[in-house]
Amino acid sequence: MTAATGPGQPGDDPEERDPGLARERTTLAWTRTAISFAALGGTMLKANVISGLIILALTPVIWQLGRVSRGRPARAGLPAVGPLRLFIITASIVAVSLLCLVIAVFGRSVPGALR
Amino acid sequence: MSWSRRLAAYLPRTVERDAGGTEPDPRFTFANERTFLAWSRTALALVVAGLGVVQLLPPFPGVPAGRHLLGVPLIVLGAVLAVAAYAEWVRNQRALRRGEPLPRSILPWLLAATVTGTAVIAAVVLLVSALR
Repeated sequence: MTAATGPGQPGDDPEERDPGLARERTTLAWTRTAISFAALGGTMLKANVISGLIILALTPVIWQLGRVSRGRPARAGLPAVGPLRLFIITASIVAVSLLCLVIAVFGRSVPGALR
Repeated sequence: MSWSRRLAAYLPRTVERDAGGTEPDPRFTFANERTFLAWSRTALALVVAGLGVVQLLPPFPGVPAGRHLLGVPLIVLGAVLAVAAYAEWVRNQRALRRGEPLPRSILPWLLAATVTGTAVIAAVVLLVSALR
């Protein structure tokens, strides 16, 4: 029996606080995101080698961001997931999008490469 | 509230400082993080698709700008989706901490509009290309 708590609030039962497999699922989600960066880098290699290598170099960084310890003691007012990591992901995607935009508009295309 | 203040409310330092409320159940925090990551991957997929259309597809006969018409909006919307996903993560996390209902998401609407718009443009480009 758990104490009455609001939605999204942890109960008194320690088991309820245990994230269980949620942590593992989240780590896997980070891994998939890193693989997505790698896929984009691989595609980019076809269009522009240097840009592709830059994006490929981001892959281990993204993967490592997902492995940053979440088990640190929670300080007052600090969310368990540091927003900086998610902000870095967002900034990376925006930067990569701008790079892709420049290459798409000004770069030399390889028509028929998918044939 | 001015636009600069609204934007500043989403910066990581501001998010940490103005968190408010109490730490939610870690499972909800993890679920929120996974949702953000899923949207980020969707944004990356849009960018890859846009780049692939422009760089790898053969040109549409009679529509020289056809590939750019299709690909460039996809790349731009990929960036927009990534930013919107981060903003939604911040709003959801605040709501979870304060025990409030989760805010309504615009991301599914944005993605549906993107896919529909791209499909319409593709159909028009193909039709024009076939007629010329």
